[in-house]
Amino acid sequence: MTAIDLRAKRSWRSTKSQLVTGLMIAAVVAIFIPLAAVLWSLVERGGGIVVAAFPDFFTEEIPQFSRRAGPGMGPAVVGTLLATGAATVMAVPLGVLGAVYLHEYGGKDRFARVVRFMATVMTGVPSIVMGLFIYLMWTIRFGFSAFGGALALACLMLPVVIGSAEQMLRLVPNHLREASYALGATRSRTILTVVLPAAIPGIVSGCLLAIARAAGETAPLLFAVGAAKAFNTSVFHEANTALSVQIFGNAMDVPAAQARAWGAALTLVLLTFLLTLSARLITGRFAMKR
Amino acid sequence: MELFDLRGHRQHADRAFRWGALGAAAVVLVVLALIAITMTDRARPVLGEMGLDFFTTTKWSVPTNTYGALGFIYGTLYTALIAISLAVPISFGVALFITQVAPRPLRKLLVYVIDLLAVVPSVVFGLWGLLVMAPALGLHASFFTAGIILAIMITPIITSLSREVIETTPATDKEAALALGATRWEMITATVWPHSKGGLVGAVMLGLGRAMGETIAATLVIGNTVNITASPFAPGYSMPTVIANEFGEAEPLHKSALIALAVTLFVITIAVNLVATWVVQRSMRRSGGK
Amino acid sequence: MNRFGWVHTTAVGISAVLALTTGCKKKEEGATGGTGATGDGPVTLNASGATFQKAAQEVAIEAFTKAHKQIKINYGGGGSGKGRKEFADQVVDYACADAPYKGDDAKSVKGGEFFYIPNLLGAITVSYKLDGADKLQLSAETLAKIFQREIKKWNDAAIAADNPDAKLPETDIVVVRRAEGSGTTENFTKYLGLAAGGAWKLGSGSSVEWPGDTQAGNGNGGVADIVLKTNGAIGYVDLSDAKAKGLTWAAVKNQAGKYVMPTAGSVTAAGDGIEVNDQLLFSALNAKGDAAYPITAQSWCLVYAKQADKAKGNAVKAYFRYLVTDAQKLLSEIDFAPIPKALQDKALAQIEKIQVP
Repeated sequence: MTAIDLRAKRSWRSTKSQLVTGLMIAAVVAIFIPLAAVLWSLVERGGGIVVAAFPDFFTEEIPQFSRRAGPGMGPAVVGTLLATGAATVMAVPLGVLGAVYLHEYGGKDRFARVVRFMATVMTGVPSIVMGLFIYLMWTIRFGFSAFGGALALACLMLPVVIGSAEQMLRLVPNHLREASYALGATRSRTILTVVLPAAIPGIVSGCLLAIARAAGETAPLLFAVGAAKAFNTSVFHEANTALSVQIFGNAMDVPAAQARAWGAALTLVLLTFLLTLSARLITGRFAMKR
Repeated sequence: MELFDLRGHRQHADRAFRWGALGAAAVVLVVLALIAITMTDRARPVLGEMGLDFFTTTKWSVPTNTYGALGFIYGTLYTALIAISLAVPISFGVALFITQVAPRPLRKLLVYVIDLLAVVPSVVFGLWGLLVMAPALGLHASFFTAGIILAIMITPIITSLSREVIETTPATDKEAALALGATRWEMITATVWPHSKGGLVGAVMLGLGRAMGETIAATLVIGNTVNITASPFAPGYSMPTVIANEFGEAEPLHKSALIALAVTLFVITIAVNLVATWVVQRSMRRSGGK
Repeated sequence: MNRFGWVHTTAVGISAVLALTTGCKKKEEGATGGTGATGDGPVTLNASGATFQKAAQEVAIEAFTKAHKQIKINYGGGGSGKGRKEFADQVVDYACADAPYKGDDAKSVKGGEFFYIPNLLGAITVSYKLDGADKLQLSAETLAKIFQREIKKWNDAAIAADNPDAKLPETDIVVVRRAEGSGTTENFTKYLGLAAGGAWKLGSGSSVEWPGDTQAGNGNGGVADIVLKTNGAIGYVDLSDAKAKGLTWAAVKNQAGKYVMPTAGSVTAAGDGIEVNDQLLFSALNAKGDAAYPITAQSWCLVYAKQADKAKGNAVKAYFRYLVTDAQKLLSEIDFAPIPKALQDKALAQIEKIQVP
């Protein structure tokens, strides 16, 4: 602690402190403003097209003629779900297993430390770099598909899942593990039947947050997924589209297309909020406390 | 509790599990290595053509096959700088408010709000910035407009991290300051600040890393023109945005130049992130924090 | 066994999902072997290219796919440069471009011989936003100087000379051009090279070295967007997009010395005197004739002469036939003009030469 100068008049020091508190409150207000403004715009400009003809927005195809007004972002919703879903199926098991290795087997050894370090490096990879990488490795050889996008998203999710899963494993008290070993269980059995079940809520919560982030990504999908306007329910075949890509593409298009972009943005934000709030709820209710 | 099977063949299953987990952890290394190898390999042609001048030339001209990265490096750094100068005061203000001023229920609400702000997809911020914020503030596409959007996006990260760092300030120090008659602000400058300085710098750098890598929100509002100028209101260009704009149609040498930009961006953001993580970890360790 | 139950369930679930999706793959592969002119099974065609004719493609695709429910066509836009590149790499099944491959680039086309099929004529407008002046006319030389940033203010002498009756404010000119490789840019700069005499110094191509203090937009739509929002802005936008966005555009002086507004009539007049070569390439820019709009551009759709896939080949052939026949009637509504009848016939003959296995 550094020395405090208490010589100045009390009233000036109080005022200064109050001023600063005022600035802090201003900062808090400032952080609310963009969130409120964005939510307001989403509801005002996107709410109409999503709610007016209710399921149409999700069941209609994207109009071929972009100047044609009216709903239809169904294929984009399907594409987002396919790409994010496939990415989750790939990234979560790998990430959780990887975290298991790092915490339960690796500990402080060389290999584990290198992997941990590289995972941190990987969280910082800009999403456009990941998009280019998947384009060079996959799209050039196999064409556009939801799966290409899923690969890119999985690469983005993997380090995040590993990081948060490892954190959750760390919170599982050692005495649970010791009790299991004492009864003669093998390590793998202990992990699968004791440690993971204890850490599951935290891991699920971390994964939900990673999924929410992946669902909103655009750059990795730009060069992998394509520009379909019709429904495409296949993960591996043919070009697809996604909510984020559609929003990006329509942002500078005609007003009819921009209206659809707002609707898509509203849908995407609702999806990500849902995932985030679920994650928070799970942590609040079930997870191990620190 | 079931009795575990204590016969010998469990060892094989146990070993298999361990290798599986190790494999999963190794995936991170494999992917990163692939990214590094493929991208540097594809970047080589343009470096062969332009040599190290690639990094010092401003001119980027597709018709004459001259590629210089300087304009984009400048744009990336400049917009990130603008973003940081806007985001840091607000982030610190909010973090201090949450940890020092806010009553408990308000604290939880604020943390939720910041989480929600963090998960709004960047493309939605881009759409809002382009169609709502910029016209409302009378702004055109420029470094400044991109900087504001980036600032909004990195504020949650800096706030959360700052909050964690500040919370590790020993309560005894703070109470001692207050007991001596310090005002809240004096208590903060005397105890919180010296203690958290390092960690806060780390938090800011992580925000910086994120701002530099952000592609989509910036593409919509940056202006798409190379401009090395001190005026923040001029249209600009940055590494991720030019890649997103020009990659689709690029001929081989052009593509190689864009990939070289991606590698440059990768290296810079990774370096910033690593230094930041090290600084934050060191500060947390020192304070005996989590 | 109970404790491992959830592991087993998850494994079964994942296998099921994988089986379903690979099952889908086999189903589609089986179904694309179709017979008949347009194939019996579902076919998806991917295309990209010029945003100049994006609206025309979309309208044609809409009508065509309504009539042929099993064919899906995705037109991704992205600019003529992207279209030519993706067509050369065989990433798309067909592409649209406002200008042909330049010189050696044609050799990089991987799929062998290909055809240029013209399908429309359209005007490139000089759109602007200037509070207080909404009926401007400009000559090629003035345009060249504006876009080269030699003329920087709206009340410049050259602009005043073209517009003796107008009251020009002292606003700064904001030049808007394309960010990516564009056929519209290529045609516009080619026109300036032809019509402005020596005044145009930046050459012609899908990108040129624009001066630094210009704004760049993505696609014709992006340029239109910026012009719409910026007072003092001037940019080149195809007529269809300009009209859809509610922009104002200038009359341009043609070779005969008349100031002509871009309309279906003036565009068709420009198309009257075109000289078409064997590959069906031509240029409608800087046309002669009193009524011709001088910045009339054309666009082609590129298709491989030897198709590799039967179903896709049939679909592409049918769609292209549609483009040069019935789709021509849809063009005037979106402010394009059809190609002259003689050219339609030549195009149709070329399309028939496409070989499908």
